[in-house]
Amino acid sequence: MIDTLIATLVSGLVLGSLYAMMASGLSVIWTTLGVFNFAHGALMMIGAFVAWTVSEAAGLGLLVGIASGTLAAALLGVLIERLLVRPYYGNRNMLLITVMTTLAAMIILEKGAQMIWGARLKQLPRLVDGEISIFGATISAHEAILVVLAPLILLSIWRFTVRTNVGRSLRAVGQNQRSAALIGIDVPVAFAIAFGLSAALAGLTGALLGSIRFITPSMGAEPLVKAMIVVIFGGLGSLGATAGAAYIIGIIEALLILWLGLYWTPFVLFLMMIVVLVFRPTGIFGSSQ
Amino acid sequence: MGRLLDISQVTAGYGSITVLRNISIGVDAGECIGLFGPNGHGKTTLLQTISGLLRPAGGRISFEGTDITGARPRDIVNAGLIQSPQGNTLFGDMHVLETLELASISRRARRGRDENLRRVFDLFPQLGERRSQKAKTLSGGERQMLSIGCALMCSPRLLMLDEPTLGLSPRLKKELAGAVGNIARSGVPLVIVEQDVEFLLSLTQRLYMIEHGEVIREIDRANAPDHDSIMKLYFGEAVH
Ligand SMILES: Nc1ncnc2c1ncn2[C@@H]1O[C@H](COP(=O)(O)OP(=O)(O)OP(=O)(O)O)[C@@H](O)[C@H]1O
Ligand SMILES: [Mg+2]
Repeated sequence: MIDTLIATLVSGLVLGSLYAMMASGLSVIWTTLGVFNFAHGALMMIGAFVAWTVSEAAGLGLLVGIASGTLAAALLGVLIERLLVRPYYGNRNMLLITVMTTLAAMIILEKGAQMIWGARLKQLPRLVDGEISIFGATISAHEAILVVLAPLILLSIWRFTVRTNVGRSLRAVGQNQRSAALIGIDVPVAFAIAFGLSAALAGLTGALLGSIRFITPSMGAEPLVKAMIVVIFGGLGSLGATAGAAYIIGIIEALLILWLGLYWTPFVLFLMMIVVLVFRPTGIFGSSQ
Repeated sequence: MGRLLDISQVTAGYGSITVLRNISIGVDAGECIGLFGPNGHGKTTLLQTISGLLRPAGGRISFEGTDITGARPRDIVNAGLIQSPQGNTLFGDMHVLETLELASISRRARRGRDENLRRVFDLFPQLGERRSQKAKTLSGGERQMLSIGCALMCSPRLLMLDEPTLGLSPRLKKELAGAVGNIARSGVPLVIVEQDVEFLLSLTQRLYMIEHGEVIREIDRANAPDHDSIMKLYFGEAVH
């Protein structure tokens, strides 16, 4: 009994790490531009495929593959901002329009990946082999790396936005574009950096996940939906709240799978999301104003 | 060497609405000028156009002899043409010190950062006391000080202040006016937008009255009209 519970909590921790990395990327874009990127999951998938091509097809090794996947996703993110988001800045319906344009980007990327890489399942090797046991629950060493890496990455993003002038300028642009421009911040560049950073996070997540799950054109869809649940649950805006919510959702999901099974879990998660939206629209950690 | 700032026949507005009509204004080196006029007649629009937030439909703006018409706001800040905008709310969730440090992000301002910071805290000791307070929790007067402080952090070669005393109590207004006077005496040329003509006359050499997006009168301090005729000018011609 205790053993199953610990095993469940540990697998919740792995899920939470995955969601934290995905959701923090969504949060970076939201806090800087005030838009929601529906292509985020597809960028994650691109990261995984490029990592596979470089590492397996070209045989350059997993680390080079992961770096390439991250970079490719970042470049695509900047491109999406440039072509599908920037033309609508200042438009009254920008939020709604960009929902549609980023959804279009998602479809283009998924179909494009299907054309380039085909539908056959692919998988990356693991960073390290072997297993690790935590209080009697075993996970692969690769998953353990994900669990350790996620909080480190979140911490460095947080430090970046608080300590460095570039990071601060992203926050400034999100809070007041006009004032940001008037102190000499290049607003379009800030937008591009936000999209690039967010997409890099997605790509890295995809490349790491490619060793645990199968790489398919639609592999990003489910993590995107979960990341959305996380940002709604945690309240958009603060990185800390997003990270906290990611781990809570990950653990709740693992527990639900244990008690209700895979079939009913998404249903209950969505129900929770609706309840949060109705009673605390600013999220569990969001200020209630 | 021509004028420091030269605005020549500028037309600008929002979409199909034209606000500025062929407006021409100039600032010479070492000079402070004032802009006044009734509400909603284009003073803020003019400053936004100079700062590159609005692209003029016609005319030419040059700063220190360089054409900056349609330049990006970042490049205009980099050239040292700085604005403290009207009713500025700045960055609500950022601390005072963080905001001031960020304001020296432009290439030319980075070098003078520490010295500028000292200068801002000398000018507004109150800001120094509140350095770790979030901007959204500051009072109206303190916000205005932070906004001017940010502009100073940009190492201005010309500083434009859009209604720096808007909505402040008479006591605070006096305090801020004193600070603006200090900045002027330190040798920074100013463009000040204000409704209070006497206040402007005490700080500037020349005033432009703006109505319907045009300069309808230029007043020299040397031969400034008296209080009554200013009032007449203001209310007599502004009210329709
Ligand atoms: N973003 C905008 N879109 C459309 N019209 C605008 C916009 N901003 C200002 N205007 C209009 O432009 C005109 C000039 O406004 P502006 O803010 O330049 O006036 P102002 O002289 O600064 O007034 P005040 O003394 O009240 O600050 C006004 O009629 C205003 O309604
Ligand atoms: Mg105004």
